[in-house]
Amino acid sequence: MAVRAAAVGRPWRRLMPAALWERPRRLQHEWQPGHPDQPIQMENPYKEPPKKCVLCGINVDYKNVQLLSQFVSPHTGCIYGRHITGLCNKKQKEISKAIKRAHVFGLMPVMFKNPSFLTDPKICNVKYPE
Amino acid sequence: KPETAAVLKRTVEALMERGAVVRNLENLGERSLPYKISKHKERHRRGGYFLIDLEGPPSIVSTMMDHLGRDIDIIRRGFIKHPVSKTEECSGIIPVNYEDKLIANK
Repeated sequence: MAVRAAAVGRPWRRLMPAALWERPRRLQHEWQPGHPDQPIQMENPYKEPPKKCVLCGINVDYKNVQLLSQFVSPHTGCIYGRHITGLCNKKQKEISKAIKRAHVFGLMPVMFKNPSFLTDPKICNVKYPE
Repeated sequence: KPETAAVLKRTVEALMERGAVVRNLENLGERSLPYKISKHKERHRRGGYFLIDLEGPPSIVSTMMDHLGRDIDIIRRGFIKHPVSKTEECSGIIPVNYEDKLIANK
């Protein structure tokens, strides 16, 4: 047996578990040097512009009571939450601050919605009208 | 009507006395108040809204609130900072990665 090993010529390798064998690591999503056919790295060209909320770009003022009344319940006068209005963080905060200011300054009714603004277009998706 | 003019004149003079510079005076119209306000032993239903643009030291605020509180003709008073509108930079709703937030908190 030992004689046969010597005759083969290749250096005898001690037995090693298959998990420790050195293998070429070639991952598909990694860039391999030297291949002209590889895909070029670039930003997604089909990316959609970020979704804008209803008030993106509109200045919120405590004086225009009509705009503020659109985010208030017609029956109780309470301010709708973020899950109903669908506004982004900043705008929701601005709206609620403006509404409370309008309440204090006597520009907007507190317990109900101004009846002249009841026929305004609906922005909020109220599933269960109060 | 001459009464409202007199009230405005009084307030503007008081502001000038304290050292505030009045830039603009706007009339937001006279309308019925959204709710009945009782002030100085009287229940008010209609009122005229006025907006005074002014520049001055912040120490005026408390003294002016006192002064306006003693005026019978003024129903409600208030001071606000000039709103600095920065709505042109609104970039839209950026989708928040909740998974990353959760892992980061750990």
